[in-house]
Amino acid sequence: MAAALNVPLTTSTTTVTTIPQMTKGEEKVDYLNLPCPIPYEEIHREALMSLKPELFEGMRFDFTKGLNQKFSLSHSVFMGPMEIPSQSSETIKIPAAHYEFGANFIDPKLMLFGRIMTDGRLNARVKCDLTENLSLKANSQLTNEPHMSHGMVSFDYKGKDYRTQFQLGNGALFGANYIQSVTPHLSFGGEVFWAGQHRKSGIGYAARYNTDKMVATGQVASTGLVALSYVQKVSEKVSLASDFMYNYMSKDVTASFGYDYILRQCRLRGKIDSNGCAAAFLEERLNMGLNFILSAELDHRKKDYKFGFGLTVGE
Amino acid sequence: MTDSVVSVEKLKAFVHSQYYDEEKWALNSKLLRAVGLFAGSIFLMRNYGDLMAI
Repeated sequence: MAAALNVPLTTSTTTVTTIPQMTKGEEKVDYLNLPCPIPYEEIHREALMSLKPELFEGMRFDFTKGLNQKFSLSHSVFMGPMEIPSQSSETIKIPAAHYEFGANFIDPKLMLFGRIMTDGRLNARVKCDLTENLSLKANSQLTNEPHMSHGMVSFDYKGKDYRTQFQLGNGALFGANYIQSVTPHLSFGGEVFWAGQHRKSGIGYAARYNTDKMVATGQVASTGLVALSYVQKVSEKVSLASDFMYNYMSKDVTASFGYDYILRQCRLRGKIDSNGCAAAFLEERLNMGLNFILSAELDHRKKDYKFGFGLTVGE
Repeated sequence: MTDSVVSVEKLKAFVHSQYYDEEKWALNSKLLRAVGLFAGSIFLMRNYGDLMAI
């Protein structure tokens, strides 16, 4: 008979201190310390960055020269067909070439941008931080053609967990919007506007939900617009985005799905539309301060194919 | 029971009016395509988005 192992079992009594477990989900939300939401007009920011690159057709060359830390000049040349809006469904293109001269002044509290084109169009933008929470923004487009110039001024106030903006434009245009953080991830906002010249007014609402991995936004307006967007941050370098836009006044509906790859040497964005339009935009960094740009847009429905290439020199 | 029969008939009439009217169907087909693309892309992004990571 095998001798049973007589191992004395010593039961050692150890005092176990229970550590209170705080899981992420159990953190109490401090509703008095909510983060400041992003500005109302930038509510679809992530989706716009991924899905709306600056597609162009033709050749583009941009040169930016910094004269000192705050001041820089820019020269842009564009050659290619320009689309003019037409009543019929056919697109009318006119070959054009223009040169644009620009000057930028960038200071932590004041930013000034000016651009002037060979056809006499002037674009100007000002952004000024009047106080820590109040900032002034102004932009204007001046042209030779009568009644085609316009300008707008806006005052933005940033509160602890809200932002508000008041806008004044030419043609008796008044607008105001407000956005408030409701939870650490959710914010709601609303806007009103009144266009005196056209005797039109409107109201709109927007909501935004964001986490580390995704951003979902929705916007409705009395002008008939319904806009929804969803962006998934797959990784640090990759984002996938989708958006849906429906205007029930003009009976226009578009949905698109796209990707955005931000790599060390290049940024590649591509998208496909529910109207049968596929587009891609590539910015390749050839060297420090030298970028090569390729743009393509294929509209299979209208049989309109646009390809563009360009070079950007300077920051 | 009668209530649900009436609403089913109304529903059928509504679907007929939206499907057989040329103009409305032109808009509705675009709307269905757009909603399908949007919802389908969200489903794919949430469930298979990791496959696109590098």
